[in-house]
Amino acid sequence: MRYTEFTPFDIVLLAQGLGVSVGLFLATTVIGLLIGTLWAVVRFYRVPVLTQVITFVAELLKNSPVLVQLFLVFFGFPAFFHINLGPVEAAVITLSGNTAAFVYVIAVSAIESIGRDQIEAARAFGLTKWQVLRHIIAPQAMAFAIGPLTGLLVNQLQVTSLISVIGVMDLTKIGNILNLRTLKPFIVWAVVGVLYYLAAKLIAYAGATLERRLRAHTAWKGL
Amino acid sequence: MIKAQSVRKVFGSVTVLDGVDLTVAPGEVVSILGSSGSGKSTLIRCINGLERLDGGSITVDDFDVSKPKELAEARKRSGTVFQMFNLYPHMTALQNVTLAPVEVLKRPKAEAEAEGRALLASVGLADRADAFPSQLSGGQRQRVGICRALAMKPRYLLLDEVTSALDPEMTADVLDILAKLAKEGTTMVFVTHEIEFARTISSRVVFLEKGRLVVDLPTEQFFAADGGLANPRIAQFLSKMRKD
Repeated sequence: MRYTEFTPFDIVLLAQGLGVSVGLFLATTVIGLLIGTLWAVVRFYRVPVLTQVITFVAELLKNSPVLVQLFLVFFGFPAFFHINLGPVEAAVITLSGNTAAFVYVIAVSAIESIGRDQIEAARAFGLTKWQVLRHIIAPQAMAFAIGPLTGLLVNQLQVTSLISVIGVMDLTKIGNILNLRTLKPFIVWAVVGVLYYLAAKLIAYAGATLERRLRAHTAWKGL
Repeated sequence: MIKAQSVRKVFGSVTVLDGVDLTVAPGEVVSILGSSGSGKSTLIRCINGLERLDGGSITVDDFDVSKPKELAEARKRSGTVFQMFNLYPHMTALQNVTLAPVEVLKRPKAEAEAEGRALLASVGLADRADAFPSQLSGGQRQRVGICRALAMKPRYLLLDEVTSALDPEMTADVLDILAKLAKEGTTMVFVTHEIEFARTISSRVVFLEKGRLVVDLPTEQFFAADGGLANPRIAQFLSKMRKD
């Protein structure tokens, strides 16, 4: 005997799942942005050895499936480093690393997109490399990067659904549980899909708003 | 005093500067003439440290530009105006002018802004202070470029073909400002193709050819028939430039 009807409590379950997905997404986004940007700065300063190591690690993370990385972290950390990881910790580590790798690529190309001539002018006036990075490169690189970053983050939100396989109670896992109980896949997955869609739309909207603000100086082209 | 001694600069297999000696004393306006590819711009870029020397030395007020620590001091003493303006596109005209004084000279922001506005007003841009470079015409951009250099209160103004990207009318605007600066006693090193203008404002003219400084004469002598013009290469260059 199984209870196949939907109950009001299912909404609470879905809300919790959504909370876990969005929470993990936000946490790994912040960590990924910080690490990816830091890596790009290291490359900007052409720190020997470290730059090569970073490029190599980023290549590994970009060019292998997130699910494989997730298994390697979840099962590999206990096996090789004798560190026991819960599913949430494994998810945070894997998704942060993956986001960082792609942020790194975007940040590097954003930095390289800034015209040499302005940088030379700033250097000729005695600004240090750091001051150039902060006042000349960073504001313009941000405006350049915000589009690709928004695209990346929308994708990374969907990628969080993979962590359900190691038992994190995210939106997809809740969907799975409701599906198994109610046996109404088209209702359950449609609702879950809409929730992801709305969250993704919110990210895209925030990105577009930020982009408009950062590109204020190119908004009006005259003369 | 800017002192360049046997400066050599090589790009790949091309020797762009081949043992150039040049001294610029405070108060002088020195024009650097020469056909394109003669190394004029490269010489300026060596003085402000944008190019590394492959030989010889350059000092600005005794600060050696090839030593990173001294270069920082040397750069505080010289201001560069660029051929293509090289403004910071994400900053307003005023922010372009105040960035270096605030960041490099550590001037208080309010003070730097007041001075920046005064500088912009002095070149007729009082009402454009809050415009972005993309909203300015070429001549206006170059006037901002000049203000940006002057805001550093440089002892030496380095001008790298500052009018060659401008039409004749805008060129006149910019040259007027430079003439005024020359009259006020600003020291300038002036790479240019504006021969007549060089003749009116400079105290000395040097002529570069294939990376060598072939003539260094007071302006009057340079343009005299028995002075610089006696050199057939210079006579040829001048007559060609005047035809254009």
